[in-house]
Amino acid sequence: MRRIAALWLACASALALALCSAPPPAAAVAAAPASVSTACLTCHASAAAALTGPMATRADERAFTHRAFGPVEGERFFTQSCAGCHVTSCSDCHGAATHPVGRPRDEACLRCHREDSVGAAYHGRAPREDHPRYQRGPKGESGEHYLSMLPDVHQERGMTCADCHRMGAHGHDAAKSTRTCRDCHRAPRPDVPEHAIGAHLEKMRCSACHAAWAAQEYGTFLVRPQTPEQREAFSVLPQQGDWRKSAVHKRQDAPPLGLDADGLVAPIRPKLVLFATDPARGWENRLLAAEWAPFEPHTVRRGSVACGGCHDQPRRFVLEADADRVLRPDLDGLALRSFWNRAGQTVRGGAFLPGPRHAAMNRKTDTYVRESLRQWQNLLRRAEPPSAR
Amino acid sequence: MALLATACAAPPTSGDGGASQEACLSCHRGLEHASATHSGCVSCHGGDPVAATKDAAHRGIYGLSNPSFAGRWEKGCGGCHRHQVERVRSSPMYTNAGMIRQIQATWEGEAPGVDFASVAGKSFDPRGGPIEHRSVGQLDNLSGELYRKFCARCHVARQNDAMDGAGHPAGCAACHFPYSEGATYRGGDPTMQGKSPFSASHEMRGLPPMEACLACHQRSGRHALSYQGLMDGNNGLVPTKGGGPGPIPGSDDRSFSHIAPDVHFAAGMECIDCHTAREVMGDGYLAPDMAAQLEVRCEDCHGDGTQRPRFAEVARESDPPVVESKQYAVRISVGDRAALTSRGRPFSNVVLRDGEVVLFTKRTGRRLVSPVVTGSPEHHLAGHERLTCAACHSRSVVQCYGCHTTYDKRGTGFDFVNNQDTVGFFSETEDVRSLYPFPLALDRSGRIAPVTPGCQTFVTAIEADGTVSLDDQVLRYKGKPQLRFAAFFGHNTGTKAIGCVECHGNPQFFGFGQHVIEDGAVRGTLLCEKNPKKPLDGFLAMEQGRVVSHAAITREGARPLDHDEVRAVLSVNLCLPCHSRADDPVYRKPLRFEDLDDATHRRALARLR
Repeated sequence: MRRIAALWLACASALALALCSAPPPAAAVAAAPASVSTACLTCHASAAAALTGPMATRADERAFTHRAFGPVEGERFFTQSCAGCHVTSCSDCHGAATHPVGRPRDEACLRCHREDSVGAAYHGRAPREDHPRYQRGPKGESGEHYLSMLPDVHQERGMTCADCHRMGAHGHDAAKSTRTCRDCHRAPRPDVPEHAIGAHLEKMRCSACHAAWAAQEYGTFLVRPQTPEQREAFSVLPQQGDWRKSAVHKRQDAPPLGLDADGLVAPIRPKLVLFATDPARGWENRLLAAEWAPFEPHTVRRGSVACGGCHDQPRRFVLEADADRVLRPDLDGLALRSFWNRAGQTVRGGAFLPGPRHAAMNRKTDTYVRESLRQWQNLLRRAEPPSAR
Repeated sequence: MALLATACAAPPTSGDGGASQEACLSCHRGLEHASATHSGCVSCHGGDPVAATKDAAHRGIYGLSNPSFAGRWEKGCGGCHRHQVERVRSSPMYTNAGMIRQIQATWEGEAPGVDFASVAGKSFDPRGGPIEHRSVGQLDNLSGELYRKFCARCHVARQNDAMDGAGHPAGCAACHFPYSEGATYRGGDPTMQGKSPFSASHEMRGLPPMEACLACHQRSGRHALSYQGLMDGNNGLVPTKGGGPGPIPGSDDRSFSHIAPDVHFAAGMECIDCHTAREVMGDGYLAPDMAAQLEVRCEDCHGDGTQRPRFAEVARESDPPVVESKQYAVRISVGDRAALTSRGRPFSNVVLRDGEVVLFTKRTGRRLVSPVVTGSPEHHLAGHERLTCAACHSRSVVQCYGCHTTYDKRGTGFDFVNNQDTVGFFSETEDVRSLYPFPLALDRSGRIAPVTPGCQTFVTAIEADGTVSLDDQVLRYKGKPQLRFAAFFGHNTGTKAIGCVECHGNPQFFGFGQHVIEDGAVRGTLLCEKNPKKPLDGFLAMEQGRVVSHAAITREGARPLDHDEVRAVLSVNLCLPCHSRADDPVYRKPLRFEDLDDATHRRALARLR
């Protein structure tokens, strides 16, 4: 049985690839005879794109697996591990019923857009570590445990996925069918100190500041155990085909920043920094990909971190100095000196912030000093004065 | 009894002659001498040295008939080292009294009046007052069960047979004959070859090696891991090692991976190079808990903002530095000036030489010069008087968020105090592990120190009939259900301090957890699933301009920063954009934020517009 769902949440710039720890349970999704779609398309011809677009083909994900593993193993991996989530029928999102048909509810989206997908993030859910010790707590639509996070402010106010993402988001040009921040928030509030800085408004995506957090996985790991002992030892980890899935490190705090395809400063995250151990191939801790991607975290809040949350934070721009490292993947046999050092890593569909630009943004210009003061004064003004001691 | 045992041992007349007079070595051929001063067999082990058969020779041997091996160290070691055995028996590592009291306080509420310890007994508090402990075997509640089935496994008086690096013999041998190399004997005695659990060799470790400390201190605070640059992280079992779990397989199916080590470890220092024998083995008086037992502080070698390390001349041959350093690579002599701990007692490996503070590593004699920070502007900042060194100099602090403990009466678990399986099985899951950043709060002495969850226990109890009597419940502490943090020195120190802006500009460092700042609020983004208004990885939030505390810092007098203190810390951000260096004169006296409105500042700020 095909397992399916919708990609209403797909952001044009975000590669919606996740290494899923488990496919959604079959019972959660209605079986979808293709004839349903044929019938729908006789009236709704424009919806045809949804059945041939990225959500149906998952071309980006397939291309990634081919790049990382090589075409043969890549195709095998894609079939085993990625093909579970793709749109095959209108009823995947709209239900098996014929008319009346409504807009899909968020639950339909979350069946696929779970774990580190931004759909889950929008609802205040972050993935947990893979080991059973961490697999506890509330469960999502597909049975996955999640960490409770602060949801997107739009979700808090009752907005659903479909309020921003329209039908065309299924198709080949998702950007045209997705509302952007500026479609509604036409003029950024001028009294906000950060908005008084021209470079912020001209060179940054709103989410670079307003995305409160994002699921990040540093060192996605696949192990194909060979001996019975290895199979036993790794059996606690989630299965993907004949691989076991793990990760070196996960975070769910404010994501690093880089440049998107338009050259704007945007949240970026590893997608994927992938290692594999496959004794049959002679692979041990082999780096298969070190790719990052810009994305929309879908964790928008009215506020942001303070100025110092980005300025003078080289780690946030993937420029961590060797002396500042806490984790030492290099000492564990991995071909990266640090996950937060761009050496040996790339951003697909974007770039790391160039070094000279990073140096420039850390200069304490008059504007920086002025607005930084104003930012703290605003907070301190709101904070009650000290009590008389 | 001790005297009897010694008498039976037929004291050797010279050198190792005693050993050769015993028939033990006719079987245990090739067994290593424990040390030059520990030559005979029977004086330590008991038994009959001239018996013809193995069974007869081993009859009455200390320890074998007793699973806790208590007799071995009371009669075997205690015969000669009575003072040391008595010290250890009134030390926190032996009584575990502080640990038990803390679990009681946080799981069941304080129960003043009755004190429990690992074993019943009498000892004296630091003021000389008598203490009487009841056995924790009688602590008839969940906290007693937790101690008996979790914590007691590491108790120093109890043998722990684990062969994965977490095992240890009982008593003195836990540190002085520690297990290593898979807890398997690899020495020269063919009768013992390959047997386990035994120490790798019969050579005594007068100076306990780090793996002895690691056997226990790789859990909870995980000091011995962090110190040498390891962590047990997310249990991800990767990167792999030879195709199997890695990178370093640890105890209980954990995997250890590398982090930056403590600067002292990198310099070649072991646990014993800071921690004195008095701290580890006790001084005869039972401190209420581990923290009160400690006497070594960073300042003892490095000084603080205003006071350099203190020294005292070693005056007599019987002074501790001379006696203790007899087995060190570098001996301390009468006339040396030994550095003093916070209690004014001498170190036996830190001395003043040519105006420099010099530490000699105990085992190898490596000479290390300790930088003294006294007088440097970074360490003389008005307002920082209350900071502990660790507040700025910790590279990382292990934080385990959300400890979900299930006690299931449908199963049984081994009780390490009563030595039997009893009803009630513990299991544990966790939410998030973090290393950096870490929160700060006031410790029991009012100093600002790193804190870590201690503990964020959510308890589920399942009765024998399957009914859930506690459902992931936050336990009551000091009268109300609340999560708890505790002051904690993470043992992962670096030379580089956390920057001014990095700390003052990031409320995560003062307990807000990861967060966003919006409209007079500081809101956590990683939330407690029991109450989404509260951060999981913090204990403070700012709501409508008011700092509110959501969790307790355990220990008397410890607490989070209050509203005014948070406001003061945040206000420093008004100075930092221009006054960015520690040697700026403004930081030599308390900051006056109203000065921002004086003529000088108004003129300077006007130029920015």
